Amino acid sequence: MSSRLYAAWDTACLRTRLLNTESFRLATLFSVLFLAFAGILFVAIFWIVQDTQTAALLSTIDADISTIGNGFRDKGVPEAIEIIQQRLGSPDYHGEDLPGGYILLVDHDGRPLAGNLQSIGHSLGVIRIRVPLRGRGAAAVLGKGVELTANTYLFVGRDTATIVATRKTILRAFGWLSGATIILAAWGGIIFSAQFLRRIDGITRTCNAIVAGNFSDRIIVRGNSDELDRLSVAINSMLDRISALLENLQQVSSDVAHDLRTPLTHLRQRLEAARERSVSLDEYSSAVSRAISDTDELLSIFASLLRISQVESGTRMASFARLSLTDVLRRLAEMYRPVAEDQNQLLISDLEEEVHMHGDRELVTQLFNNLIVNALKHSLPGKQIVLTLRKIDGKAVASVADDGPGVAPEDRLRILRRFVRLSASRTTPGNGLGLALVNAITNLHGAELVLSDRSPGLLVTLKFAGN
Amino acid sequence: MRLDRGVTSAIVGVASCKSVASRKAMNILLVEDDLEVAAVVTDGFQEQGYTVDHVVDGSAALEMAVDGKYQLVVLDRMLPSLDGLSLVRRLRAQGVTTPVIFLTTMSGIDDRVTGLEAGADDYLVKPFAFMELLARARVLARRPAGGPDPVVRLRTGSVDMDLLKRVVWRGGRNVELLPQEFRLLEYLLRNADRVVTRKMLLESVWDIHFDPQSTVVESHISRLRSKLNQGGQPDVIQTVRGMGYRLLAH
Repeated sequence: MSSRLYAAWDTACLRTRLLNTESFRLATLFSVLFLAFAGILFVAIFWIVQDTQTAALLSTIDADISTIGNGFRDKGVPEAIEIIQQRLGSPDYHGEDLPGGYILLVDHDGRPLAGNLQSIGHSLGVIRIRVPLRGRGAAAVLGKGVELTANTYLFVGRDTATIVATRKTILRAFGWLSGATIILAAWGGIIFSAQFLRRIDGITRTCNAIVAGNFSDRIIVRGNSDELDRLSVAINSMLDRISALLENLQQVSSDVAHDLRTPLTHLRQRLEAARERSVSLDEYSSAVSRAISDTDELLSIFASLLRISQVESGTRMASFARLSLTDVLRRLAEMYRPVAEDQNQLLISDLEEEVHMHGDRELVTQLFNNLIVNALKHSLPGKQIVLTLRKIDGKAVASVADDGPGVAPEDRLRILRRFVRLSASRTTPGNGLGLALVNAITNLHGAELVLSDRSPGLLVTLKFAGN
Repeated sequence: MRLDRGVTSAIVGVASCKSVASRKAMNILLVEDDLEVAAVVTDGFQEQGYTVDHVVDGSAALEMAVDGKYQLVVLDRMLPSLDGLSLVRRLRAQGVTTPVIFLTTMSGIDDRVTGLEAGADDYLVKPFAFMELLARARVLARRPAGGPDPVVRLRTGSVDMDLLKRVVWRGGRNVELLPQEFRLLEYLLRNADRVVTRKMLLESVWDIHFDPQSTVVESHISRLRSKLNQGGQPDVIQTVRGMGYRLLAH
């Protein structure tokens, strides 16, 4: 897929994916909740306003009823009719174009005595009626019917147009509000989701770039330490670790290839020279012997590399057991004392009794074997190598010290790597893997390896977690 | 030990010129699916006058080894049909005590331990020098079942060792040895007249199963040699070039 096609497909997908994102879902959920809350509020306001307005209408109605009733009781029907006429003439009862109020007084035969209504029956208490208007449908009227005497019935009512208008206003406001909420929620949801998706896409792009081989790519961190930022930081540091390991692996592979080429070149040269120049069986025989020892050297490099990678894989930890470090070092000291003497060196051991540790006996033996062999190799005749073991704060601390030329501070970490041989030791036999194995075994045991200056000489100290 | 004299006697005659220890004939079962390795091993053993039966298949090897007519089984660990480890376990389960040497490319520490735990007597990692295999084969083939002899005294020629008192005499003269020198001499005495390699000494005397990259064995042998020869007696430890050492019994 071309990049442009991919981009188009990406955009099209983004739209549908937007609706499927968690942030969009959350935005939708929150707007529904908000709408429900607004709905409850609306119903409450609606009822409160309606009740208040109805109560206000009823109180004016009650006032008119009592005025008319008082007139009737004091001076009889004519006075009541008089008051009714007055009320009907007042602006209260005449809206802009509609009558705002309605009154009806009937006698015991049901004949209307006064008012602007036809007969409406004889209902008492609060009633709602509809009054037909000329050519304009009907008015909704709220009113009250009372009996002034057993034979006289009075109805006073008011048009509820104002209540209906308020109701409509509230409904309209709620409609607008809901619409705005839905639009805002959708807009917010889309914005947040798009932002979220863009960042997720950024992570995906970085991952794809790494799969494609661009190991230096990293996810952009916005620095606001939100969840995505923390995830990005975690992924970035994972990538850092992986690329460090990868570099190490590449380094090791090229080192292996390079360092194996040297002995192979020697081997080839020797065989070639034997073919070209050897004339006697003895010469052939010695050439073959040397070729075999070259091959053995190569095989020993392979064996060391295999051992290192086996140790680095960590599988040996399963067979860790308690072992006496005193015992291991004493055997090694006894083993190497004659070797030192043969080189006119002195191997001194100063070992504390009963120092134990948790580990692999064979590997720990090999670790100190390599350190002692190194010390013997790099010390001059007449010098001494000191092997020390102490228990300090419950930790086994062992050290191998020599009087040799020592190692410059800048080289101390370097010589722990595979195939690194300092120029001073290039001429001595060895494959540059001894200390790399020491380092691997140290790491496997969670121990601490310190190379320091003994002026003159090198002091290698190992601190194991004791027990 | 049954000898197939008809086949071997002529070759034994030739081989005995090379090595004192190869006078006895030996039947070896070689179980190995790498035909090149098998050819080198077979030729090498036959040159020493030994009879070698070579099989590739593990199950077939089991049937042959159960007979007990072999003095040694040389076994590759990875085999078709029945792997070396299971083969050794089954042999031991059926009470066959024939010594077994594993030949293997698996060089891990665990691999060696599991191989020996399964009942093998020795373990040799490929690639190996044939001389190493030969030396080990000779040592193993003479060894009685169930480990070293329960002897308390080892005497070979003029060297006399008391294992209980931990004392050594050379022609009546007491020789003071350090513990590791004592163990070294004990191993040489137990395998008197047989070549033992540097690797075999490292493994059995020092329990070192890796290449120490040092002249440990040479240094100890030279100490032991000078202590044994102090009285002006002739050297009893012979250096066999390219192979190892041999304690002379006469």
